[in-house]
Amino acid sequence: MDSELRHLDEQIIARYANQPPRLPPELRRRIEAGGGAAPVLLYALADLDADLRLAETWVVLRPHDLVLARAVGHGDWEIRSVARDRITAVREAPGLSATTLTLLGAPADPPRAVLRYTQRQRRGFENLRFVLEERLAGRDVPTGDADREYAEAVARPVRDTQALVAGRRAAALRRLLGYLRPYRRQLALGLGAAAAITLVSLAPPYLAGYLLDRVIRPAQAGTLSLERASLAGWLAVAAMAVVYLIRQAAAVVRLRLMSVLGEWVARDLRAELYAHLQRLSLAFYSRKKTGSLITRVTADTDRLWEFLAFGVVDVSLSLVMLAGLGAVLLSLDWRLGLVMVLPVPAFCWLIFRHGEGINPLFLRGWRKWSRVTDVLSDTIPGIRVVRAFNQEAREVRRFAERNADVTEEFNRIHRLWTTFWPLLMLGVHGTTVVVWALAVPRLLGGEPALSMGTFVSFLLYTTMFVGPIEIIGQIARTMNRATTSAHRVFEVLDTEPDVRDAPDPVRLSPVRGRVSFENVTFGYDGVRQVIRGVSFDVAPGELIGLVGASGGGKSTIVSLIARFYDVTGGAIRIDGVDVRRLEIGHFRRQVGMVLQDPYLFHGSVLENIRYGHPEAAFEAVVVAARAANAHEFICKLEHGYDTLVGERGHTLSGGERQRVSIARAILHDPRILVLDEATSSVDTETEGEIQEALERLIAGRTVFAIAHRLSTLRRASRLFVVEDGRLVEAGTHHELLQRPRGRYRRLYELQLQLA
Amino acid sequence: MVATLAGRRLVEAGPAGSGALILEHRPDGRLWAIRAGEARPVVVRRCFPWSEPARYLSLRDEDDREFALVRDPGDLDADSQQALGAALVAAGFVFAVTRVVALDEEVELRHWRVETRQGPRSFQTRLDDWPRAVPRGGLLIRDVAGDLYHIADPARLDQRSRELLWAFVD
Repeated sequence: MDSELRHLDEQIIARYANQPPRLPPELRRRIEAGGGAAPVLLYALADLDADLRLAETWVVLRPHDLVLARAVGHGDWEIRSVARDRITAVREAPGLSATTLTLLGAPADPPRAVLRYTQRQRRGFENLRFVLEERLAGRDVPTGDADREYAEAVARPVRDTQALVAGRRAAALRRLLGYLRPYRRQLALGLGAAAAITLVSLAPPYLAGYLLDRVIRPAQAGTLSLERASLAGWLAVAAMAVVYLIRQAAAVVRLRLMSVLGEWVARDLRAELYAHLQRLSLAFYSRKKTGSLITRVTADTDRLWEFLAFGVVDVSLSLVMLAGLGAVLLSLDWRLGLVMVLPVPAFCWLIFRHGEGINPLFLRGWRKWSRVTDVLSDTIPGIRVVRAFNQEAREVRRFAERNADVTEEFNRIHRLWTTFWPLLMLGVHGTTVVVWALAVPRLLGGEPALSMGTFVSFLLYTTMFVGPIEIIGQIARTMNRATTSAHRVFEVLDTEPDVRDAPDPVRLSPVRGRVSFENVTFGYDGVRQVIRGVSFDVAPGELIGLVGASGGGKSTIVSLIARFYDVTGGAIRIDGVDVRRLEIGHFRRQVGMVLQDPYLFHGSVLENIRYGHPEAAFEAVVVAARAANAHEFICKLEHGYDTLVGERGHTLSGGERQRVSIARAILHDPRILVLDEATSSVDTETEGEIQEALERLIAGRTVFAIAHRLSTLRRASRLFVVEDGRLVEAGTHHELLQRPRGRYRRLYELQLQLA
Repeated sequence: MVATLAGRRLVEAGPAGSGALILEHRPDGRLWAIRAGEARPVVVRRCFPWSEPARYLSLRDEDDREFALVRDPGDLDADSQQALGAALVAAGFVFAVTRVVALDEEVELRHWRVETRQGPRSFQTRLDDWPRAVPRGGLLIRDVAGDLYHIADPARLDQRSRELLWAFVD
């Protein structure tokens, strides 16, 4: 998987970044061969020179030095080495688009190096800087594959926006059509019906011509008896009726089958997508916007339904129809046929060009539309602020201006298409006029002769050209929209979860709750570690308080315990078993969480409490709610436990939501419990009730509680002070207060002063 | 720094107290600010990079705390102005686009190929990230990596560039 990702990242760099996908191999050989044959640990590209022009300087980290290789043209490099032990500090000066990294030497000495680079290279340099600074602090950081780190650092912003390298439209389309496989029978029937519609559509004009030439005119001329003419006429009328009946019957079959089939495929895609989303790790969700993921499950699958239900059939049958019409017209009269058939490619091309030409107008229209929606999304949630600052008139004016602006843009689009289509139709009718001009002399006895019936058939066929031409002219747009949606859906489906079950996962039964960290390191991104060598051993039933400044790594530690992420170094053991060997689903059922902002789902209070155990008995629900100090307020609600809590539980207060979430956790009955700032967003009175509920919840479980208010952690068995990703102090409240210069003591005294 | 709202005046009293501010580039390659006998290496950040780029410059120390606020570089001595000017070049650097070569839409991305004063460059923006008009004129584009591209006057670009940019310019 790593090599696949690296390959993908290298493709992204080659395609989008216009810079080498890795350290040039020849340069790497030279660097690795020089200075005692030291290996390359990490590297980055400084893409700006001292004058802030685009340039190429590779900055390569080796165990004892940093090599700077500047491209000087013709494949030559100017290489110099900076000994790592001569670097005393690394300083970064970020600008808007250029960052300057200064490697300092001894005070008052010139800097060892000054490097400038754009934001695109920033992650790569953050990796380098981190490793250099850690060394300065006396710590060594293990580095992985240097090529991999570089490729990921550069390609990551593009990959986060678009996971698949574009350009595989045909493959996406093939894969999409593969979803039709389970419905082959329906597809064959639908296509058959659509083909029947196309074929029988060709019959009425032929019948009309036949009626004129073989029945009406001979009857008028007296060469056919009235009786026979009448019989033939009625037969032709009956045949026409049958043709229309067949056509509409086939239309029913086609429309129903294909739309239902499209829905099935969309349903399958939605189900697969949603199931896959549930498997993906939290890292994926932190990279993607929620709105974008929701759109993939809804709008994109809907667009794919439209394509599969109608696009596929319409496009293929339009091609068949045009080919059929061309053949029929040419066979009826090749001279007139050529007049009609030859301009068809030109009409298709004109429609295609029109689509291309109108695109920038739509783009402009969408941009202005987004300015309208910006006002709405600003002011509707912020209506209180608008009112408080008395800015209603200004906001109305702002909206009106943007509204007028977008209207003007869309009217421009309307002016274009309302001009184009009549002109195009004029062109089509022009060919019909040419047909008339060529046919009339022949109808009046000119050579070669043309019968009235053939001419009428011909004219009727010409009216059937317009629809297929329109559809074929829009093939590019239809395909483009479908493949874009397919890419967006497949991008999610192709993302592998970072956290997966081991081949033979272990089920701990029962889980006792011992949690051990063994020199754990972890980083979300690149080589930068947010947890650095943390070790501890927590016995079952202990209450551990995690304290320290924000951003120190407390929440990351509990996320690692729940195995939302896998460690990058060391191991976490649950009852002595590496957490990576445990079956994820079974293990997570043993872990409960009560968060600062409890998340309730749209549904009733009952459903929310039962979330982890949908089958739990009412008695168990009430017992859990009582223990959570939630029963009283729930019973006061008009619909009791059946009260709908609204989206994210907005109909309840913060304290009420928290108590429902505690009841949910109590019913879940986890062996390991995480309390992440569970009481920090409620008032003092409510806090007391919640604290009481929490005390019932934590009894007999291993608990990790994060709290900024240290007073809430006095009852903890032990307190862990976490700073900058490290466990800097551990002990009981009293033990830690005894340390004269302890961090915990300082934090505690600070809070006392503020209280 | 203390803000006195009553007097509608921002009084500077940074950690080093008041006094003449001197800026200099030292041999270590960094910009140093000296005031009231205290010297610190600083980086410059424009408070209003697009509305008022030449004034209100925040000098920030290694802990990213403001050491001094330069309201108007003209208040500094000539050497300090020169040192500040050099630091501002790097701090305010953005790509200056001189030509738009190609603009393609792909899945989720808009792919730009441009020529800039710094050299040819390719970059990508999200499809729903629109170029932004900046207060003193021109268009500012931010790519997915965070780099900024400034088109000072779209109307003065060549015709092909103008055509490609048409949808993004009011």
